[in-house]
Amino acid sequence: MSRRIGIITALIAIILIVALDWSLGTPPDPYRAPDPMAFGSISGASGAICSFVPGAENDTTNRH
Amino acid sequence: MVIRISLVVTLLLTLAVFAGVRFSLLLGLGLLIGFTLERCGFGFAGPWRRLVRDRDAQGVIAQLIAIGLTASAIQPLIAYAPGSLIGAIAPVSLSMIIAAAVFGLSMQMILGCGSGTLVNAGSGNIVALAALPLFCLGSFLGSLIVPLAVQSTPHVPLNLTKLLGVEQSVAVTLAGLLVVGLIARGFSQGSIWNRKFLTAAVFLAVLATLHVLIAGQPWGVVYGLGLWTAKAAQGIGWDPNTAQFWIHPVNATALKESILTDTTSLTNIGLITGAALAAWIDSVNKPFKQSIAVWYYVVAALFGLFLGISSRLAFGCNVGGLFSGIASGSVHGWAWLIAGFIGSVAGVHLRDKLWLRASREAR
Repeated sequence: MSRRIGIITALIAIILIVALDWSLGTPPDPYRAPDPMAFGSISGASGAICSFVPGAENDTTNRH
Repeated sequence: MVIRISLVVTLLLTLAVFAGVRFSLLLGLGLLIGFTLERCGFGFAGPWRRLVRDRDAQGVIAQLIAIGLTASAIQPLIAYAPGSLIGAIAPVSLSMIIAAAVFGLSMQMILGCGSGTLVNAGSGNIVALAALPLFCLGSFLGSLIVPLAVQSTPHVPLNLTKLLGVEQSVAVTLAGLLVVGLIARGFSQGSIWNRKFLTAAVFLAVLATLHVLIAGQPWGVVYGLGLWTAKAAQGIGWDPNTAQFWIHPVNATALKESILTDTTSLTNIGLITGAALAAWIDSVNKPFKQSIAVWYYVVAALFGLFLGISSRLAFGCNVGGLFSGIASGSVHGWAWLIAGFIGSVAGVHLRDKLWLRASREAR
């Protein structure tokens, strides 16, 4: 058995995650899409970031 | 090659139409990062391991160059566009430092960091495939624990760009990276330069800078993994209103919206897919199963769980905490580097012992 089976497993897992999220949750709405680039846009960063600090009002700690 | 490029273009165009151009660009960035890391054999756990075991600093030097280039670009950009761009700024604390050390140890046990585990899984590595599901679970569990850690120990956010100004912050960041590089060079035996790693480092810095311009925030990994598990938990009856982390408007929105509109989810999907595309042809000649005892996969899964929990408590893994933290001017990135490396030294020795035992038992 080659490593290709592992690649296929990983890709199937990704497809399943996206499909489940699409079917059970809210599908994306292109009409509410932000500007293509956050730089210089009013629709900037989402703030959903690894350095998020709960209870510290991230909007102020993260923004410069 | 033509088929793979056509598939990628179709995928990106479809996402642009169904979700939006920004999300398509982010998926594209993730694909390029995954492809680059896999094709160049570049990462974080491996270079740290080679420095500790073989006194080979080539990978570490390339990492430092990637961080330095990114810092030089994104710190002024973030300061120039404060309304739309944010840095990976997080506090330094005792729990954060311990968690970074645990992450350093865990990433050596599975030879995969935050980005590395995704890239390895995408390239069909069975150890990474065993660790990844529990990495996701751990990231979610960490999100439930982190408010308690924040409340119980002092957490001090130190942002160099705010403390010193942008120019001095960039200078201090580059000087710090130079000092680390000189220490690594002093410890190293042989050349510290590797053309392939340096190429990957420059690519990574360009892609990380583009990430900030497009997403408005630096590259990360762990947030998306925790989000996927939180959504799954919600599907089986978990109430996010009971978790302080998930009731914050930022996270509640992420939980409500599609993962195809979440920055870290998209780059994570891109990383796995990009690595899969890079590894596809050679994968036929590589064995899927490694010659180790089955119990090592359980150990890998367990350390995958530790990766997830610790990266939430450390405010990011080697990508969101170390790479993006230092590049953004956050002192927590430096604390992450020191603690993570100490944990890695222990992890290298522990892995060698367990791997040897698992290999012997498999014969």
